[in-house]
Amino acid sequence: MRVPITTRGTLFVVLAVFFLLVGWRIQALPDYTLARVVQDFLNALTLGSLYALIALGYTMVYGIIRLINFAHGEIFMLGAYFAFFAMVLTPLPLALALLTTLLLGGTALLVTRSLFNLESPKKTAGLAFPLLVGIFVLLGFRQLGWIEALFLSMIATAVSGVLLELVAYRPLRGAPRESMLITAIAASFFLQNMGQLVFGPYVKGFNPETVLNRPLSFRIGPEEVYFTGVLLVVPLITGLLLLLLNFFVTRTRLGKAMRATAQDAEVAQMMGVNVHQVIALTFFIGSTLAAAAGVMYAIRFGQIHPLMGLLPGIKAFAAAVIGGIGSLPGAVLGGLLLGFIEIYVVSLFPTLSAYKDVFAFVLLILILLFRPSGLIGEDLTEKV
Amino acid sequence: MKKFLLAVILSLGTVALADSHGGTIKIGINLELSGRFAAIGQQTLMGIQAAHAQRPEVAGMKVELVVCDNETSREGSVACARRFVDEGVIGVLGAISTSMSIPAAEILQDAGIIMISTSSTNPQTTQIGDYIFRMAYTDDFQGKLAAAYVVNDLGAKKIAVFRQVDDDYSFGLAGFFDETAKKLGAQTVVQDFTAGTVDFTAQLNNIRAFKPDVIYYSGFCAEGAPFMKQLREQGFQQAVIGADAIDDKQCPEGAGKAFDGVVFTGFATPDLIPDPEAKKRAEAFKEFFFQTFKDAKPGDFNGFVLAGADAYNVLVEAIARAGSTDRKKVRDALASLENFPGVSGDVTYKGTDGTPKDRTIGFFKYEVMSPDNWKKTALFGKSTAEVE
Repeated sequence: MRVPITTRGTLFVVLAVFFLLVGWRIQALPDYTLARVVQDFLNALTLGSLYALIALGYTMVYGIIRLINFAHGEIFMLGAYFAFFAMVLTPLPLALALLTTLLLGGTALLVTRSLFNLESPKKTAGLAFPLLVGIFVLLGFRQLGWIEALFLSMIATAVSGVLLELVAYRPLRGAPRESMLITAIAASFFLQNMGQLVFGPYVKGFNPETVLNRPLSFRIGPEEVYFTGVLLVVPLITGLLLLLLNFFVTRTRLGKAMRATAQDAEVAQMMGVNVHQVIALTFFIGSTLAAAAGVMYAIRFGQIHPLMGLLPGIKAFAAAVIGGIGSLPGAVLGGLLLGFIEIYVVSLFPTLSAYKDVFAFVLLILILLFRPSGLIGEDLTEKV
Repeated sequence: MKKFLLAVILSLGTVALADSHGGTIKIGINLELSGRFAAIGQQTLMGIQAAHAQRPEVAGMKVELVVCDNETSREGSVACARRFVDEGVIGVLGAISTSMSIPAAEILQDAGIIMISTSSTNPQTTQIGDYIFRMAYTDDFQGKLAAAYVVNDLGAKKIAVFRQVDDDYSFGLAGFFDETAKKLGAQTVVQDFTAGTVDFTAQLNNIRAFKPDVIYYSGFCAEGAPFMKQLREQGFQQAVIGADAIDDKQCPEGAGKAFDGVVFTGFATPDLIPDPEAKKRAEAFKEFFFQTFKDAKPGDFNGFVLAGADAYNVLVEAIARAGSTDRKKVRDALASLENFPGVSGDVTYKGTDGTPKDRTIGFFKYEVMSPDNWKKTALFGKSTAEVE
């Protein structure tokens, strides 16, 4: 007899195990004071919200074309590098700024024009003017702050994501899914190696003075609890993006086209949906999310290197699968869960801290055994 | 794939330089030129190249350097070693780190090819066989000296030790440190992490109740930069001591001000070498180095450069003394080397397991104003001969 296990049931079990373990730790160790309980919780929330942000983009692409985009971690890396260069190299000499503007702005214009159905000359001009002038002003006159750099990086990364789709995935449309998967791995390797050649194989420090890495603290009794601005900003951004994406997918025409493509690309095409456009759009949005995550992650840990996307990419993939791949709230839930496991394995079992990834992946296996479609994913609902 | 791209590009330069016909001797170079230890790898390579430029010929033959990038991976190091066996090199210089040196040493020992690890410090490396040598001191000395400094000089009673458990070097060194610190009467608590760890907040919360006086970090810079950053963010103001793995510009450049004040033990720089003759040689080599590499920054010259240069120097000297390219004869010449005047001090292999006698370990302190504005101050040097 097969007992149906509901989402709520699974979540209940996970939470119960969590509280039992923390309770055991509190009574077993006299020095595990309230301040330290809170500290662990905040640490877990900080890490988890970063994973959630990366997992959002991962799950989005899978939801539409059923492609596990292994290059997502590398797009994430590109996002971090673009923001780094935007902050370090600005203000560019005006001629160079103009050239970069034309290159980046021009491609961005071409891409957005075809993605968002803005083909009429009036709309194109309406988009071109603020885009080009905006990029030029940003690049040419002063050193950028992290928010402007983030904005520029999101544009540049989104364009790179669409180009990647155009070059690596579009020619394989209709090919067996395995071919796409292998191309994705190839794209990932290609970007890693290109990163090492172009950006250099070294670790680069990335420590701008931002609200993200401002150390903050408060008191509980005699003890201090520490956190950084990441804890305030990243969950906010993740939540906002989740709402925005949900709105886009459920309430707009393009979102409807997306859901149709996710359900059945062929039939959607017969109904007049431009499948190529929808998929490129998915990569556009997914890459924007990856850029946002990459910049936050880089600032949080203070460094960037060409292989930085590898581990977070795998973790975000795991998070997306735990949550139910294709489901947006699932990705957030999975990311948070992974963050909590990583922190609490070290905290509850210090001698096993080398095996924290093992714990994370054992949980992945357990959840998939009992709920093959993940915590939130349902077999029947459409996935976007 | 990765290997192929980088190795091809790196070896093109050296292959083009050397004559391929008749009178050349090939020396393999197995280094971490990309991946986590890329910065140290590049510095070591520059040291080898500078030494090669000083003495490009031996026994009437040109020396050809065959460079192989192991990408800071064990598999990569094994692949490099196999390649060198196939190419029939006379000896191999590298790898830098213990984790990449040991797998390569096992293959090269079986093939009867000399290997000189430039800076592997784990005692096991040279115990693999009689063809395996090193240029550095070993971690039992490094760990003992660091522990004595922390307990006796800094007066620490409680020490938190952070070690990277999946790295032979870091794990072994933390063990030697921990053992000596306990023997000297300090209390310790050990926290583990693995390669690629960037979030240390949970480990830091674990040592909060212990209230350490000093923190010892036996890992590398890829993890060290975020470690230091979070340590300070989380309100820990204690002194931090590291080892030669953080003698790497990726640390101050990666962590910025958070790395200010960190002290580490490492391969001695010219100003710390006690023997005045050896010091003069080291200073002269330093000058030659900056003439050879015009773009090199002051921070690019450190102990790893000297280790790389001397690994090359002793191998070439052994070939000259053997007067042939017979590997057995060259090995015997190397193993009986006594007081060779190297740029890192005198090198003696006679009567050792392949670890040179009497190396100098330096104590250094980072002064970091900003990621682009930092320097290392040499505090003092200790000879391994002084350690019990």
